[in-house]
Amino acid sequence: MSKTFKRLLTLVGAGALALVGPLAVSAQAPDDDTLVIAQSVDVGALEPALIGSRAEANIMAMMFATLYSIDDDGSLVPYLATSYTQSEDGSEWTFTLNEGLTCHNGEPLTAEDVAYSFQRAADPANGFTGNTVGFVLPSVKYLDARADSDLEVTIIMDGPQSEALRLGLLSEVYIHCKDYYESNELAFLAENPVGSGAYRFVEWRRDEYVLMERVDEFTLRQPAFKRILWRVIPEASTRVAELIAGNVDIVANVPPDQVRAINDSGTAQVQAVAGTRRMYVGFQFSEAFADSPGWEALQKTEVRVALQYAVDVPTICIALLGTECERASSMVNPPNDNPNLEPYPYDPAMAEALLDAAGYPRGADGVRFRTVLMGPRGRYLNDVAVVQAIGQYLSDVGVETEVDIRDWASDYVPLIRQKNVGPLFFLGTGGSTWSALYDMADLSSPTAGTNYTNWNNAEWFELWDATQGVDPVTERENVNRMLEIFYNDPPWLLLYFQPDFYGVSNRIEWQARRDEKVLPYYARLAQ
Amino acid sequence: MIQTTPSMTAPVRLPADELVETPSELRRALRSLFKARWPLLALIVLGIVGFFALFGPNIAPKDPNRQTLRARLTPPMFAAETPNPDYPLGSDALGRDVLSRLIYGARVSISVGLAAVLLGGFVGISLGMVAGYFGGFLDDLIMRIADIQLGFPFILLAIMVLVVLGQSVANLVIVLGIGQWVTYARIARGSTIAEREREHITASRAMGANNARILLRGILPNITAPLIVIASFNVASVILSEATLSFLGLGVPPTVPTWGGMLAESRDQLLGGSWWLAVFPGLCIVLTVLSLNVLGDWLRDFLDPRLRGSR
Amino acid sequence: MSTYILRRVSQSIIVVIGVTLLSFISLHLAGDPTYLYVSERASNEEIAAARVALGFDRPLPEQYLNFVGGMLRGDLGTSLRSRQPAANMVLERLPATLELTIFALVLAISLAIPIGILSATRRGTPLDSGIMLFAMFGQSIPSFWLGIMLILFVGLTLRWLPISGYVPILQPMLNGDFATAIDNLPNALRHLILPGVTIATFSLSRNARLVRSAMLEVLNQDYVRTARAKGLSGRVVVFRHAFRNALIPVVTILGLEFGFLLSGVVVTETVFSWPGVGRLVFNAITQRDIPVVQASVVIFSLVFVTLNLMVDLLYARLDPRIRIG
Repeated sequence: MSKTFKRLLTLVGAGALALVGPLAVSAQAPDDDTLVIAQSVDVGALEPALIGSRAEANIMAMMFATLYSIDDDGSLVPYLATSYTQSEDGSEWTFTLNEGLTCHNGEPLTAEDVAYSFQRAADPANGFTGNTVGFVLPSVKYLDARADSDLEVTIIMDGPQSEALRLGLLSEVYIHCKDYYESNELAFLAENPVGSGAYRFVEWRRDEYVLMERVDEFTLRQPAFKRILWRVIPEASTRVAELIAGNVDIVANVPPDQVRAINDSGTAQVQAVAGTRRMYVGFQFSEAFADSPGWEALQKTEVRVALQYAVDVPTICIALLGTECERASSMVNPPNDNPNLEPYPYDPAMAEALLDAAGYPRGADGVRFRTVLMGPRGRYLNDVAVVQAIGQYLSDVGVETEVDIRDWASDYVPLIRQKNVGPLFFLGTGGSTWSALYDMADLSSPTAGTNYTNWNNAEWFELWDATQGVDPVTERENVNRMLEIFYNDPPWLLLYFQPDFYGVSNRIEWQARRDEKVLPYYARLAQ
Repeated sequence: MIQTTPSMTAPVRLPADELVETPSELRRALRSLFKARWPLLALIVLGIVGFFALFGPNIAPKDPNRQTLRARLTPPMFAAETPNPDYPLGSDALGRDVLSRLIYGARVSISVGLAAVLLGGFVGISLGMVAGYFGGFLDDLIMRIADIQLGFPFILLAIMVLVVLGQSVANLVIVLGIGQWVTYARIARGSTIAEREREHITASRAMGANNARILLRGILPNITAPLIVIASFNVASVILSEATLSFLGLGVPPTVPTWGGMLAESRDQLLGGSWWLAVFPGLCIVLTVLSLNVLGDWLRDFLDPRLRGSR
Repeated sequence: MSTYILRRVSQSIIVVIGVTLLSFISLHLAGDPTYLYVSERASNEEIAAARVALGFDRPLPEQYLNFVGGMLRGDLGTSLRSRQPAANMVLERLPATLELTIFALVLAISLAIPIGILSATRRGTPLDSGIMLFAMFGQSIPSFWLGIMLILFVGLTLRWLPISGYVPILQPMLNGDFATAIDNLPNALRHLILPGVTIATFSLSRNARLVRSAMLEVLNQDYVRTARAKGLSGRVVVFRHAFRNALIPVVTILGLEFGFLLSGVVVTETVFSWPGVGRLVFNAITQRDIPVVQASVVIFSLVFVTLNLMVDLLYARLDPRIRIG
């Protein structure tokens, strides 16, 4: 026994030495042909019709082309299609495709395949639940698609709509080839995608990475990097450590308090961009909340206006988001917003005066009324901290606010979808740089799925209906009028457009976009 | 071959040797090393923590949730170039006073630990005693449920229950309590089976005492020693579990200060250099857990009848 | 012996079914999971359609019986999110998790035993106190914290070891590709060290203390004293008589230890971006991908039950006083 034990010890010692030997350099640094991007979540399936999250869409958009696309500067540019025409009533849009397109398996890509991509996503038999069927198709009022010739495809929709809004949405449908996708099982396709875009799929190791390779024959987009490796690194500190160590080139959602460490590292820099996601505190109007604390007070327009003055948005931005930001004056991203509206200033004295006037003076304990602010954890930039800070500001003007934080995925999302949040709730919804109406589509009707506050301002909804398919000048007038209504009878406590922080290795040159998309067509090695 | 039955020879007085000592020497040695100094120190640490937990609201300098965004990430006084007496141990990312949060955190962390252990102990000991005393179908049923739970990694159970019930201090206590009952149940069952057949029990049964009385008066007092030892270790492990669940975002709500929650929150600030956000709650956890373990060790040695030589 | 194994296996089936029922009820108690599968802007009609497509419109008992029926046929269902067979998704990830846990287990046990023995034989010396203090520290550090510190210090500051990521060994071996497995080995080990240490620290500390006290107890027993009285050298006594008996409590908790290490993987896999079952099941729970949760739970408990059976058999071999029957 003693001898065995000694041998065992020797073995352990030798093993340890053998490990220490090659420790010196842990070279994981990527080669010059490969761009490495780290995201926090993996794709669920490499299935174009099942894509839901931003991280998934980034990966898919590099493999699957679309009819038009939104360029880095926010403009809509042709992609697979060269141009389009609308029928007289605005319900049929006919796109003309580039010639000689193919999918990555060599299959020719024609109008029939484009029509098929729409029909396949919409087919209830497939049971898809992704962004295309869940949001894009209903928003453009999609009915059907048909191939008119090899190069002409018509998308049939119900009635006219704002041109930019519809084109932007149609640009989110990933085009794929009919023969391949029809002749294989869904389970197989989810792991073996055949795309139509600038990169072809190479390998997917779940929860580890997706590797893709440039299609050299593809001429519509010509990116510099031969390969892109999309790594999955769930923990923010680990992502930043990998960036600083030089093993990763692009990292999204850098925590603001780590920005300086990255900038000081000498290996990477942080890019801050003004994002388009509109962050707000919603006031719940639903009668179902009538018994909730503060609900009754919040039904008064004067109270909702008063609270706009209570929150110091610029300080929240600097302290918690690590950047200066302009307070939102409406739900629409600049420059499409109403230029005549000034953002509400931080003026607690004004807030208190307005609350006094509205009939809610401070009681003996200094409290005007009590309420609850709900908010998510793990979805938006520093969300937990921001929600707690807002709670503090509201309490400071005498509206004693209890903060109720819920887990985003498992708890908050179902509540939001059922509009079962309130009386105050913190939320952010994606916006755009290319259409005011896209941003306003949250409130397309009193019962719209995204009208989470159940706001019901008759004037707003009449104007919304009257604005569909009108000429740009009338559209602009109506938009400005509507945003004024929104400003004076606010369903939202207006906050800010969420800034986005991208950590970018000094090894590469790349410019982050405003719309949270990471589409590195223009990324290249630094000189 | 190894010999596993004790030798038949009578105990002989052995020459003093580094390897073998008599029980009295062992006790003396342990007393000199751990028993006398370390457990005392542990007791003092736990006394301070307990004091904070009991009187936190009276001694904390500030409201632990009062934020001052403009004073966020103030370094502790002793480490700052321009010390800010408002924040003796610095302030966190929202400008809340770290010292006050630590004091309030003691209250939450300790009460969560104690409550979870009491809950787990109550459920486990009751079920274990019932299983051991009555045997048969009840025994089978309870032990199968215990097996089911053991076949289920605790963290999965915790995640599932917290996702279902939502996050609150009470739910956390329930989860951490459920996570432990099996340990107590198994020990209680084993001891109960052994006690059941002892003379005083059979005697009182013969005299017509009812089962509840026998269990509570006859058996429970005789099986508590090992359970108390386990409990002291478990309070420590519950404090750690609370920290781990906070990391996964499943601890108590972020508005409630706990040491584990503070430590988990601090990880985004580490690279930024705000070390005090991690060091102070970390120190509190380590010292408390360490003290509980030292005390548990001592308690085990003290209560273990073989070391005491009483049986 | 065979009746014993048979009985244990039938008990295991009850355990597995109980575990699935428990998790099924938990996941559905939280309300309709459909909302987690529809887009941010979905309308009520779309949500209703998705509910039917996902099968959540059926009565709960029917959903559960369908699952059990499938399980008995060896079909654990299809992931709602990725449309892959749920069992495959779990089995694909299992090698990574096993590599991590086995590495941690080996690390913990192979260090705990010599350290525990050393501490016991040097009882009362500063070395013993130092080891025990260290062991207690090891038991007081939350693992996520240790992991992040190791990443920042060993990975980033010293650049000694990789920060995150995984290089497979078991998977190529299972595919029969031993050349790749051997090629990968050095790199795989370097990736294993930090997460392995993160998981192992707690067990190592606990087991070192356990071995120490077991050793002390055995050393104090009559037969060991007798052996010494007969003039056998200290070393022979330690290894021939005491060591083997001191192993018994360690082996007893081995099975439980493995289950405990499996618990630790959820956190460690997240911190080190390790593509194992822990992360899979954590994500599946928060996203209510119920078939994947069920499949992981079934496979987890099968692994656990099998291990405990093995441990019991090993235990019986080590200690003849114990009869299996």
